[in-house]
Amino acid sequence: MSSKTARPILHSAAWRISLWATLAFACGTMLVFAFLHRFVAGDIQRRSDAWLSGEVEVLGDVAERTPKDALHDRVVGEVAELAGKEVPNRDPSANSSNDSVFFLQTGGNGSLTLWVGAGSGEPYLKAIQATRIIPHRPADIHVQGLAIPFRVASIQIDDGSYIYLGLSERDELRVLRNLGQRFFLFWLLLVLFGFGIVFITTWRMLTHVREIAEAASRIGHSDLNARVPTTKGNDEVSHLALTLNRMLDRIESSIHQLHTITDSLAHDLRSPLTAIRGKLEMSLSAVTQVEHAEPIVSAIEELDRLTDFLNKSLDVAEAKADALRLNRVPVDLDELLRIMIDLYEPSMSEKGLQIRLKSGGPLRIEADEALIHRMIANLFDNELKHLPAACTVNIQLKAENKGASLILEDDGPGFDPQVLPHLFERRVKGKESSGHGLGLAFVDAVARAHGGAVSAGNRDCGGAQIAVTLPLAALDQGSAAIHSAHGGQAIFRRGIP
Amino acid sequence: MHYDPLMRLLLVEDEIDIQRFLRTSLEEAGYQVEAAGDGKTAEQLAVDGQFDILIVDLGLPDQDGISLILKLRQLGLRAPVLILSARRSVDDRVRGLEQGGDDYLTKPFALAELLARLRNLLKRNSPSGAEATRLQVLDLELDLLRREATRSGQLLQLTTQEFVLLEYLCRNAGRVVTRSMILDKVWGMRIQPDTNVVDVHIYRLRGKVDGQGQKPLIRTLRGVGYVLKDR
Repeated sequence: MSSKTARPILHSAAWRISLWATLAFACGTMLVFAFLHRFVAGDIQRRSDAWLSGEVEVLGDVAERTPKDALHDRVVGEVAELAGKEVPNRDPSANSSNDSVFFLQTGGNGSLTLWVGAGSGEPYLKAIQATRIIPHRPADIHVQGLAIPFRVASIQIDDGSYIYLGLSERDELRVLRNLGQRFFLFWLLLVLFGFGIVFITTWRMLTHVREIAEAASRIGHSDLNARVPTTKGNDEVSHLALTLNRMLDRIESSIHQLHTITDSLAHDLRSPLTAIRGKLEMSLSAVTQVEHAEPIVSAIEELDRLTDFLNKSLDVAEAKADALRLNRVPVDLDELLRIMIDLYEPSMSEKGLQIRLKSGGPLRIEADEALIHRMIANLFDNELKHLPAACTVNIQLKAENKGASLILEDDGPGFDPQVLPHLFERRVKGKESSGHGLGLAFVDAVARAHGGAVSAGNRDCGGAQIAVTLPLAALDQGSAAIHSAHGGQAIFRRGIP
Repeated sequence: MHYDPLMRLLLVEDEIDIQRFLRTSLEEAGYQVEAAGDGKTAEQLAVDGQFDILIVDLGLPDQDGISLILKLRQLGLRAPVLILSARRSVDDRVRGLEQGGDDYLTKPFALAELLARLRNLLKRNSPSGAEATRLQVLDLELDLLRREATRSGQLLQLTTQEFVLLEYLCRNAGRVVTRSMILDKVWGMRIQPDTNVVDVHIYRLRGKVDGQGQKPLIRTLRGVGYVLKDR
């Protein structure tokens, strides 16, 4: 996986899938935790309400039974204070001063008769009076000056006075806050963990898909024997790999069939051609008079043209089916072009043509040497055959993003506009052309077999232009950069000796 | 055009037509030829007779030509092999044999090329003395060290490429060389241009070598190739 981490993770499908999956997971778990929190809060409330109701009942009982003498208030006060020590959810670390509970008794007229609790009872009474509290049903009151509300239960005793027992919700809120924090932490961990698991799983699966894609793109350009990697599992991805491999099996067998057909066709035609050529040569050596030799000579020449046509047709057919067998070796296009120009220059100057090369220096590609030679010879033959006298052929070779670009331009009449759209098809040639119409189809076939492309057209200022691009050798991309960086273009021009 | 009357050659080719014309041409060129139409006969002949060189066609009726060559090599055959192939693309195994000192030729071929390749194979396999530094054909002299050519003592103004071409013709003086042989040996490419590129080079060279009033040395054999006359 290490080689692929260079590709930004944020752009990977695994990242997107994990983000969406995690979002859904986070929302779901958030709902569950919220529900749990509510449930626990309700339970705590119920428990404290039950305690309040029970205690207020006891206090009411005590207040009722205690005779209304001087000791009444004190007895009730003591009992109330005792009750305050048994507060549920009490923070054990809190100091002993008890301000979380109050006891309040009002007379029949609503005045404060007894107060047990921290500070003055008046604000509490006011808050109680502001909130209408129904006996036996605890309710919240908000005392002025205190942030935390009190839960208050009340009871009416026989003498018409009311007893109120209040419990601060501080402890309850603290418990709930703690719980909320823990729930949040737990939720966060769960979400992160879920994200991790989803991301790793999809990343691994998609890495496998990427490996399949990479292997599949390699296949066809280099070799058909290779297969995409398969896994042991029985999931969609391994199914995809298996399907691809089965498809490759079928393609390989079709290509193999094509090879067999072209090979046997070549063999079936070549053997008689060899025999005919041999016989012609033998009869030529026996001929003494020049006029008798002429038909034999032209027969041999026709035969050689037929052989060339056969070779090119089969190459074009195989290249169209992506089945051209390449034997890649390093080829220096710059050197090759100079040799070709050296070879073609005399014929061209004989015809009154000039040829110029503009090249940035050595440019090596990995290619099938014989095919590249024949491809460039085809391009040169094409110029030589179709250009009228006094024209110039400009050849430009340069490296451009991971490819070699070879451009041939001339100032001749250009391509016949009728032929132009079909230039790379077999058997297409201009009206005055004497060739067999395979030249450019062959150039196109070779370029495509190497993973390159050819384009042809007429220049605005007149003349034809053919541009061939060929991918550089994978190993040589560094030197390609140097090639284009230097850019100092030496103009190579051969004069007439 | 006799080369060496003692050279024994084994021709393994199943096509009767090709076998017949090759046998005639090879005998004419001075080889003592034994022919076999299939791998089995070839094996027997190769074991019994001492051959200097073999011509093996890849498509034999009973076995693959390459398997035959490998088998013969295992049996101790030392002689070089010229492989004839009707396949366009060269097999990796052929390439292996080529590296081992053998050569191949695709059908159809020019007889001159076949003979030239046979000569090369024999030359490669026979230990020869130091490479000559001078070549002489009649009154044409080539100094290979100084890269200079003279005709009847007159220095010829040749370009580098013209010198290489003339050297190749001289080395094969008296023998036919084809256009594709010249392209292969002088320019290093196996192409078949359908234009007159090689002819123009020869024409220019002839203009410099065969001056006015001199006996023309470079002869064109139409449909076959060129020959530098040595007598």
